[in-house]
Amino acid sequence: MKQLFPIKHVMGYLFSLVLSVVALAVIFFDLSFSAAMVILLVCAILQASLQLFLFMHVSEAADTKKTLYLNIAYAVFVGLVTIFGTLFTMIWGYQ
Amino acid sequence: MKINSNVPLEYSTEENSNKILGFWLFLGAEIALFSTLFATYFTLWNRTGNGPTGHELFELNGVLMETFLLLTSSFTCGLAIHAMRHGFKKATMVFFAITLVLGLGFLGVEITEFVTYVHDGATVSTSAFLSSLFVLLGTHGLHVSMGILWGAAIMIQIKRQGFTAETTNKSFIFSLYWHFLDVVWIFIFSFVYLKGMM
Repeated sequence: MKQLFPIKHVMGYLFSLVLSVVALAVIFFDLSFSAAMVILLVCAILQASLQLFLFMHVSEAADTKKTLYLNIAYAVFVGLVTIFGTLFTMIWGYQ
Repeated sequence: MKINSNVPLEYSTEENSNKILGFWLFLGAEIALFSTLFATYFTLWNRTGNGPTGHELFELNGVLMETFLLLTSSFTCGLAIHAMRHGFKKATMVFFAITLVLGLGFLGVEITEFVTYVHDGATVSTSAFLSSLFVLLGTHGLHVSMGILWGAAIMIQIKRQGFTAETTNKSFIFSLYWHFLDVVWIFIFSFVYLKGMM
């Protein structure tokens, strides 16, 4: 049993549930928009990192580790430019 | 075929580790794909026209259910790979089966949600908000559906061939895909549903 349920995975899973519950704070408490966004962002980034490092073992293969980090960093960069570039040209730029 | 026995079976040949690397590159492209859909949604989320707003539409219970199902399936998928690395075939199969059933449960809740929306008069052509919402959620749901078919096909192969360099490699790559879908869901959960219900 112990071999089937490694403590790291179980803790990671519980932590991800806790993070989801913490994120719920934004709908149950009357927070300002920026405070709510910070909570959501922090929880989401922690959750994503948890999946990436714990469950997807991104850092396990020594020879490709650097390539994977670079690839993900680049993909996230492209994603952020897409999202914030769109918001800038379609919404913020007009205000 | 050169086999390196110092690494898990799914990395053991050069072809295998290249396939894993290649799949990570694909996931990079998927990040870009979902970013464009999020960008569209964030631009259009308040263009609700005569249709309902997210605040009126979203139901917390269904969303929590979906999140719980997907988080748990991601966990059992991780356990399946862990069991695979210890060579426990039966445990791997059981964990994969649980993963896929939870995935089906997620799809069931999501489909029910879509049907309710459409019944309430919120269809894909009602407003720009709903178009972007359905495309974002639909793309994720389609990925989950594909993942279920893919996972089932891999389970059949493990059952027939046991753990070989090929089947373990396919299983590991499938697990990357499944965890990635969970990551995308976390962002949908946070920035579509929770932000919409604020």
